[in-house]
Amino acid sequence: MVRKILFFLVLAIILFVTLYPVYWVITTSLKNLRDAFAMPPVTFFSPTLENYAKILNNAAFLKGFANSMLISLTASVLAVAVAAVASYGIVQQSAKRRQSIEGFVISLRIAPAILFVIPTYYVSMRMGLLNSHGLLIAVYAFINIPFAISLLVTFFEEVPKEMREAGLMDGASEYRVFWHIILPVVRGGLVATFILCVLFTWNEFFIALILSGRNTQTLPVTITSFLTFQGIEWGTLTAAATLIMLPMIVLGMLVQGTVVRGMSAGSVKG
Amino acid sequence: MQTISRNPTRIFYWPIIALLAAIGFSLLGYAIWLCLHNVSLTSTKGTQFVGLRNFERLITDWRGLQALWRTFLFVVLATSIEVVLGIAVALFLDQEFPGKRLVRSLILVPMIMTPVIAGLTWRFLFNAQSGMINYWLSTLGIAPVDWLGDPSVALYAVLVADIWQWTPFVVLLAMATLENLPKDLVEAARMDGANEVRVVWHIILPMLRRTLAVAALIRAIDSVKAFDLFYIMTKGGPALSTETQNLYGYTVAFTNFDISYAMTIAVLLTVVTNVALLLLNRFAMPRGNR
Repeated sequence: MVRKILFFLVLAIILFVTLYPVYWVITTSLKNLRDAFAMPPVTFFSPTLENYAKILNNAAFLKGFANSMLISLTASVLAVAVAAVASYGIVQQSAKRRQSIEGFVISLRIAPAILFVIPTYYVSMRMGLLNSHGLLIAVYAFINIPFAISLLVTFFEEVPKEMREAGLMDGASEYRVFWHIILPVVRGGLVATFILCVLFTWNEFFIALILSGRNTQTLPVTITSFLTFQGIEWGTLTAAATLIMLPMIVLGMLVQGTVVRGMSAGSVKG
Repeated sequence: MQTISRNPTRIFYWPIIALLAAIGFSLLGYAIWLCLHNVSLTSTKGTQFVGLRNFERLITDWRGLQALWRTFLFVVLATSIEVVLGIAVALFLDQEFPGKRLVRSLILVPMIMTPVIAGLTWRFLFNAQSGMINYWLSTLGIAPVDWLGDPSVALYAVLVADIWQWTPFVVLLAMATLENLPKDLVEAARMDGANEVRVVWHIILPMLRRTLAVAALIRAIDSVKAFDLFYIMTKGGPALSTETQNLYGYTVAFTNFDISYAMTIAVLLTVVTNVALLLLNRFAMPRGNR
């Protein structure tokens, strides 16, 4: 009994530490200025939506939202489409060949972003591309493809080899087998990979900070520009933060098993 | 079967792998070219070949060397604390209890929270005047600390935020492995009267070794590249006390616009990462794997 109480006590502490920052962002966004900075902090307050009204009328925020949507969805669709085709081919190869291809793919994921972002910045600046959505979409697709390949390979290799062989025996072309037999089976994996690509692109900051211009700023960059105001308006800032992070937390929970699998894909099987 | 199955499938992957390789290698080539020249957006002189002068400058650049040391310190502390804490929490949660699935989803939250927002939140929590951390300390009778304003503690404040955000990754990875472990060996040892500490140390941890190594590897790679939390919480300050190699490279490139020197820093960062990886791979990975 004592053991049990102790267990739930420690569990409660772990969950409190894990979730407090999220709780703080959401509650502060619902407080008025006086409640937000009350010391000692107030736990019970009458919630207000005035911060949300303010941020939803902010042109910069809305622009950032549209940019983030456009860029993360397009780059992820591109990456998953290309990676699905590639992964289908990769899993059919001999173990040795697979290892060298997957090793190369992983090395692309390991390289620090700064290594290729600076040359990309310099070249796009000289070509006048720094303010275009196309640049960001291309860069994010380039980054998401290796990630999507190493994750999708784990889904494609779960498909029984007999399915493809049976299709070929029946006279279907390799392309038909891929499109009509294998893709429907890995649909769940494709959706999960797509969601993770959207999540990473949406949350990504470093590349967006360097390669986005006035018209292409994504939300993480937009929200940091709110920091330079005379004194930070924590109410509006946390309302914006809630609107940025909540969709991703919901999406991430939908594919929760795949998050860890995706981040460790290629280095651990599971 | 092998002969028909091999060839037609190659067309599915080689164009994209070739494209990735072409882009990758041309960027790498260009990066090396930049390191050997003196490209700067503020310079009025033309671009010249300078050989290894950027590298010579780097090894005598006190600010850069300090940033390198700080990166090393941060990576070692973050990786080791996250792995140890993560395994401890995973072992603690490795039992049946109501709501386990829910707990597992909630633990995921820090990892998928937008890093910029995590940074903003911790910046507020660590605020010297109105932050919650000092408030809680004050209820325990501890004097307020200027977490992000004091050069001797700021790095550790960012470290706390990083640990908060990434320990869950280790927890979830270890929990998944623990669930797939054969439990009979553990049960047998318990039957024989081995105490819990011995069971964990002699039976469970050795079986977790590969997972531990992978977790450490992934966390080390990511913490070398850590940027978001630093940029939002301290921007490298106060008095450069939280400036890591990555942040220094960013500043050189986009505040001083010294493209070539920034590239040299980035290349050094990549080399250091790879050496660290090789070492970790060599010593932490159990034999027979990769």
